[in-house]
Amino acid sequence: MATADDTTATFGGGEPVLETKGLTRRFGELVAVDDLDIEVGQGEFRSIIGPNGAGKTTLFNLISGALLPSEGSVVFEGEDVSQLRPHQRVHRGIGRSFQITNVFGGLTVRENVRLAAQAAIRERSPFENAFRHKDSFGDLNDRTDDVLARIGLDGRGHEQASTLAYGDRRRLEIGLVLATDPQLVMLDEPTAGMSAEETRATMELIGDVLGDRTVLLIEHDIELVMNASDRITVLNRGEELATGPPAAVAENEQVQQAYLGGGVL
Amino acid sequence: MLELPLVTAGETLDQFINGLTVGMVYVLLAAGLSIIFGVMDVINFAHGELLALGAYFAVAITTAGIGNFWVALLVAPLAVAIIGGAMERLTIRPLYGRDPLYHILLTFGLVLIFVDAIELIWGTQPFRPLDTGVLSGTITILGFQKTLYSYFVIVMGAVVAAGAWLVLERTRFGLVVRAGSMDRDMVRHLGIDIDRYYTLVFAFGAFLAAVGGVVFAGRQSVGPGMGGSVIIPAFIVVVLGGLGSFRGAVAGGLLVGVVQSFVRWQVPFLEGLVVFLLMIGVLLIRPQGLFGSPEWHDPGEGGELLTAAGSGVLSTRRRRLLGGGMVAVLAIAPLGIGVLYNSYVVNTIVVDILIWGLFALSLDLVMGYTGLVSLGHVLFYGLGAYATVLFAVYLLPSIWLALVAGILVAALIAWVVGYLSIRVSGVYFSMITLAFAELFASLALKMPGLRAQINPTLDSLGLPTIPPLTNGDNGIGADAITYGLTGGPEFGDVSLLGEIHLYYYVILALVVGSYLVSRRLIDAPFGSVLQAIRESEQRASFLGYDTTMYKRRAFVVSGALAGLAGGLRATQNLGRASPGFLDWLLSGEVIVMTLLGGMGTLYGPMIGAAGYLSLEELLLSNGIDQWQGVLGIVFVLFVIFVPRGIVSIPSLVKQRMDSSSEAPPEGEPAEVSD
Repeated sequence: MATADDTTATFGGGEPVLETKGLTRRFGELVAVDDLDIEVGQGEFRSIIGPNGAGKTTLFNLISGALLPSEGSVVFEGEDVSQLRPHQRVHRGIGRSFQITNVFGGLTVRENVRLAAQAAIRERSPFENAFRHKDSFGDLNDRTDDVLARIGLDGRGHEQASTLAYGDRRRLEIGLVLATDPQLVMLDEPTAGMSAEETRATMELIGDVLGDRTVLLIEHDIELVMNASDRITVLNRGEELATGPPAAVAENEQVQQAYLGGGVL
Repeated sequence: MLELPLVTAGETLDQFINGLTVGMVYVLLAAGLSIIFGVMDVINFAHGELLALGAYFAVAITTAGIGNFWVALLVAPLAVAIIGGAMERLTIRPLYGRDPLYHILLTFGLVLIFVDAIELIWGTQPFRPLDTGVLSGTITILGFQKTLYSYFVIVMGAVVAAGAWLVLERTRFGLVVRAGSMDRDMVRHLGIDIDRYYTLVFAFGAFLAAVGGVVFAGRQSVGPGMGGSVIIPAFIVVVLGGLGSFRGAVAGGLLVGVVQSFVRWQVPFLEGLVVFLLMIGVLLIRPQGLFGSPEWHDPGEGGELLTAAGSGVLSTRRRRLLGGGMVAVLAIAPLGIGVLYNSYVVNTIVVDILIWGLFALSLDLVMGYTGLVSLGHVLFYGLGAYATVLFAVYLLPSIWLALVAGILVAALIAWVVGYLSIRVSGVYFSMITLAFAELFASLALKMPGLRAQINPTLDSLGLPTIPPLTNGDNGIGADAITYGLTGGPEFGDVSLLGEIHLYYYVILALVVGSYLVSRRLIDAPFGSVLQAIRESEQRASFLGYDTTMYKRRAFVVSGALAGLAGGLRATQNLGRASPGFLDWLLSGEVIVMTLLGGMGTLYGPMIGAAGYLSLEELLLSNGIDQWQGVLGIVFVLFVIFVPRGIVSIPSLVKQRMDSSSEAPPEGEPAEVSD
């Protein structure tokens, strides 16, 4: 099936962090994701590309738990998480951002980040959780400050999230993912709608703050994908067309025919 | 088992036809409700009042000698259609793009206005059914005698429904309406001015309701409360059939009519319970209803709840100062009795405000902070009242323990109701909470009948029988509730100094304590998560929060506080609880107070309660009987112009003053787009 160079099958040696096994999702007659077997290695930067309707976002929804598979399974760090609810998968270490900016608009920037950090620090007594003032948790405050600084929004914590400029809101969104401290970070078109300058800054931010984590990225900007990825998976009509390092994928004939229209790269 | 009376085929047919007759009225009412919801996401609580208006117009036309039944059947619906169109233009139009909650609130305000307007014009005396002329005779078919009118209603209902269906299926109007109910924006982008159609749709729905009203008036007397009595069954019909589905409205209407008819005939003590159970069952198994589309997404998605939080007038420090000052004023208020005001002001009005303030505070936790719009919050208030009284009657007359019992029972039922309701979201959640509240309200009323049916069976089996838990209409009362465990001074009887009573301070302390506990919860991590759920439940769950669990917990806390409010109210009511404690109008009133004050602030709803009750008192003491109508008008204006409530007025004024050159003010949501 995967016809591109598969020599780096298990990235970085050991077991893959994420595996999908025969993953399939149907909507009525439509097969949005069709029998996918994907392996993502520890610390890998993997991009998912493909034309509109290739099944990229559906794949994300299946991995993060927004959708349940029709068939097949999602295995994360050796555990089958296919039937877990979204918050349980977050607890296992899967974090995601959304295609359409999804931050808590009515809350302040700081409150947004703190909520994400608070979700990650779970070993609190129910009493503390319900009755202790949220400002009084030292570890929570430190972590919030740290994330705010890393996404360049320190000093702007008091602003209401809905009033942020578009680019800042996308940064905040990445901050939310970062604050939950995930093993696997899933980013759904983090630079959609951005100017070239903003895109560059955002990719730098992603490289900076998520550098040592495993990243799964959906992105339309081919050049960006080619530069950033360790490996690329190409989807077409729900099926895996090819997986491999950027150069190999770019040279793959099937990919060129089906997706790139031949000779774009 | 219960013994069923012997049933003949003739009787069965008779009941079946009765059921269809009533069902047709429901069909006419529900079809309009459903289309209006489908196209505009508007839940029109005033739809029952449109039906009542149709009936009253018909009465007016026939009694004034302008025309007979047939003229009324044509003219009254047209008149109501015009009123419906005007209603959409003037009041509902400004709210498109906001959360559907605001339509519920607005149309609830309109209900108050309609009810009082009808009373003002036609008085409170019921009118006899319309003279239907030749239709009032009976007809015998296959040896089975029945009034001609019943057949007429069924045939006419079928013709009107078929006509409406043809309009929806075969005309350009219908095409736009159906397309609009699938994707409003798409229709707009096709260059069709769908807003113009909205007025027509609303008028069309009003027309159908009024036809139902005229038909109704030919069968039963026309009196106040008519609109209120049909709206809840109509909602059940719409939810059963599937929100926005015309076919569903027809099938649901006939089903509810027939089921009601048979239940009333065969198992009268279950009347009023069965339909609610039916509705709850359907919502749990198939939330989209019998004919609803499973892809129907939560219509709340585009809209926004306008909380007053973030209006930014009160810093924490200032809030504490003002709050502390307020409590201090309330604490010394009784000293003014006989000097500045009489004891009624403190011992009745202020106590009322405190108790309602607590009730509104409890609602704010789920509605303002978590985004769960409970239309049945009166359930917990009523249960708290009943449980408090029952504890005092059957176990110990101690006020403290009885109140704790009220809180616990309300919390327990809130857990159960929350467990079942929180699986569905948005409008469905609102509807299911309403259904649960109505179920318990019917249960409170029907309890004596139920006992009469079940107790002999239990007795013969040697099982303990059910004690008189509610006493139906009469309510149940504890003779004396005391401060001690079994004896001691009676609650309400301990005078500290003249007219200054101990209970005033007990209530003040409990209400202030409840506020402080709620404030603590909201300021703790728990409260942050609730607000995150309100802002975006999906995002919250992808941060790792079990949002269902958080929502349930908030619901339980809220139910417990509402239970305390109900318990306190019962103790004020000479230790009596009655079905009036479970009246769905109270749910509406508490929502009104919460919004009036400014939800999502905790103190706002309490201010709203004070405003609402003070205005009511002011109007009543000035001899204005139409106080509800006036309140309705004030409320409608608030929903349209000051949706963030009284507490947002200072910042609103400030914005107006600064806005000459400024960009859009901070935190103002885009209300135009949806």
